Amino acid sequence: MNILVVDDDPVVQASCRRILEAEGHAVAVSSGALEALAALDRGPCQLMLVDVIMPEYDGLYLIGSVRARQPELPILVMSGYPTPETIASGRRMGATHFIAKPFTPEELVAAVNRALAGKGTG
Amino acid sequence: MGQPVIFSTRFRLIISFLAMAALVGGFSLVIGVRLLTRSVFNEATNRIRLDLSAAREIYRNVEDRLNLGLSIPTLEAGFIAALQAGDIPFLRGCLQSVASRLDLDFAGLVDPDRRVLLRLSAPLGSLPDSGPVNPVAELALRRRAAVGGTAVLDRANLLAENPELAERARIALVPTPKAAPRPETEETEGMCLACAHPVYAGNTLIGVLYGGVLLNRSEQIVDRVRETVFQQEIYHGQHIGTATIFFKDLRIATNVLAPQGGRAIGTRVSQQVKEKVLDKGERWVDRAFVVRDWYISAYEPIVDVLGEKVGMLYVGVLESKYVDMRRGAVLVFVLITAAGMALAVLLGFLLSQRILNPVQRLIAVSRRVSQGDLSPEVGPLSRSEIGVLQRTFQEMLGSLRERYRHQKAESELKLLQSEKQASVGRLAAGVAHEINNPLTGVLTFTHLLLKRKDLEPEVREDLKTIADSTERVRRIVKGLLDFARQSKLEPRPSDVNELIESTIPLVANQALVKGVVFCFDAGQGIPKRTLDRNQFQSVLLNIILNAIDATERGGHINISSRLALNVSGSGTEPRKGIEISIADTGCGIPPENLDKLFDPFFTTKEVGRGTGLGLSVSQGIVERHGGIIRVQSKVGEGSTFTIWLPLEGEAGAP
Repeated sequence: MNILVVDDDPVVQASCRRILEAEGHAVAVSSGALEALAALDRGPCQLMLVDVIMPEYDGLYLIGSVRARQPELPILVMSGYPTPETIASGRRMGATHFIAKPFTPEELVAAVNRALAGKGTG
Repeated sequence: MGQPVIFSTRFRLIISFLAMAALVGGFSLVIGVRLLTRSVFNEATNRIRLDLSAAREIYRNVEDRLNLGLSIPTLEAGFIAALQAGDIPFLRGCLQSVASRLDLDFAGLVDPDRRVLLRLSAPLGSLPDSGPVNPVAELALRRRAAVGGTAVLDRANLLAENPELAERARIALVPTPKAAPRPETEETEGMCLACAHPVYAGNTLIGVLYGGVLLNRSEQIVDRVRETVFQQEIYHGQHIGTATIFFKDLRIATNVLAPQGGRAIGTRVSQQVKEKVLDKGERWVDRAFVVRDWYISAYEPIVDVLGEKVGMLYVGVLESKYVDMRRGAVLVFVLITAAGMALAVLLGFLLSQRILNPVQRLIAVSRRVSQGDLSPEVGPLSRSEIGVLQRTFQEMLGSLRERYRHQKAESELKLLQSEKQASVGRLAAGVAHEINNPLTGVLTFTHLLLKRKDLEPEVREDLKTIADSTERVRRIVKGLLDFARQSKLEPRPSDVNELIESTIPLVANQALVKGVVFCFDAGQGIPKRTLDRNQFQSVLLNIILNAIDATERGGHINISSRLALNVSGSGTEPRKGIEISIADTGCGIPPENLDKLFDPFFTTKEVGRGTGLGLSVSQGIVERHGGIIRVQSKVGEGSTFTIWLPLEGEAGAP
């Protein structure tokens, strides 16, 4: 596993998995924050894609928790409600990159590549 | 009022009135009393001068009466014959009848050889008489002529005339303050009014007839003066007028009363008066302290038959009458002044009441206004300048009310609008969030499908239609989100002209494609203003893109900026601001659409071309910058959008 996708919506999970696997990435999927943390306990990853609004623990909580364990891990935030406030709070918690939903496969691939390369902000 | 009383206008007004009344009253009091005192004193001294003359006349009258009464026998033939014959009993009869008629104290006959032939008091057959010759008779003998007037008889003389007389004349000196010192303790000499007439037989002097009255302890003259001159006037139980005959400086006949009662015989005159009257022979008219009271008094010397100043005649009126008169006048003046001052206080109070009442009312009214009551009663209008103030105040209240009403209506409208916007915003946000996830799926899988090489051409076309439609949905959702995003501004100082110039290239391509020409007229002297560049640029873009859409090929879009006043809204001051207008020569907007233009989701564009949120979002942004967005349009001629932003420091700027 090198990319962990965390989103409560199966459609988004499937979309990400299909796009990224087509690009040759090993993709793991979690549908909640606790599940994602458990997956991370089982083994590390190179990049994490996180939705902001999720039931129970939200994306910001997850980002905070992960950031405490793996400070270097790039985190790409996906949001269907890309207000400046959402982006800013994600950054404060430790997100490194950002992409607005909905996205085309090209847009997602570009954002993931930028995140993996550790370049700039998306 | 919370201010100290001494600062109140009422207090000051009353004090001013009071000070004026006190000043005028006090001044007239001093001047009036002084004038009055002087005139009363002058009047009194003039009167006492006259009184002294009258007293002198009475004194002379007594003397004249003696003179006349004694002259009659000396001219009678019988008397002359009796004297020649030495018929003493006859002569004694004559002498006694004269003496009783004239009420003489002493009388006598002296022959030319200075032998006393007869004395009134001597008993029959006591001749020859060895006593001294009466000095008046002596003088008449020497002068061979009649002598009359005041004369001093020493004790020997008095004893010779009548021992009782000598006793009456003896007066013990009463110690008197201010009097000139005198060594003796009693006066034994007597002062008399006496006359002596020579008796002639033919041309031969055959004797001298003399007689007189002793003035010591005599009440006759002084009381007559009191009766005739002062008419027995009584003041506070005391005779107001007094008269005195002095022998030297000693009161020998007087109706001035001693402190312990009784006539003040034996007291003496003050040294000051004595020196002036008795020694220098002048008159004294002034106030003087007599025995126990102050008198307005007049003194003049009494000269005896030898021309010596032997005594004084005095009249005086109680000064206390005049003092009381003056006191009464002062009291009247004081009362008038006090009444004036009381009147001044009353007047000041009433005047200040009249002036200050409307002011107090105005203060109360402004207090109520400051507490939020905009329609208090100002009260009846005053006719003075205060009335102008009241009227102005009423007008001010009127415009305040108008303004308040206007502001309230405006803010209610704004509230309604923002509530509408907020609810639409919340709806939009929810919808956007929910739609974006499925949209991600649609977009992803459509594109993934499109990547496949084995697709039938018509399937590929259909997939492309799906992808394009999804893109449209994505744009609509993005527009919704933009509208919903009532995010805070990130303002920084910006040059509006520079912002417009940097915006035009972004739409230049569309304009070129559409064949529309831009024209930018940058206004001069526009200061920088803080604004959110990104949001404001999106406003400009929105309006310009609308304009491009509305304008046919060959049309113009004129953008201009300038400094302008905003006079919109009644009851508000015109405010300075920046005006940006974007005018197109496009199709224009029908009047029925003008009102709905800024409503969310209102659009005239064909389906799929616009979200209906652009102008609504733009209006929100402009308003959050404190500005206004307006539109004027004429169908077929074009539309003009005008954005007005207040300058900083002007009311309404964020």
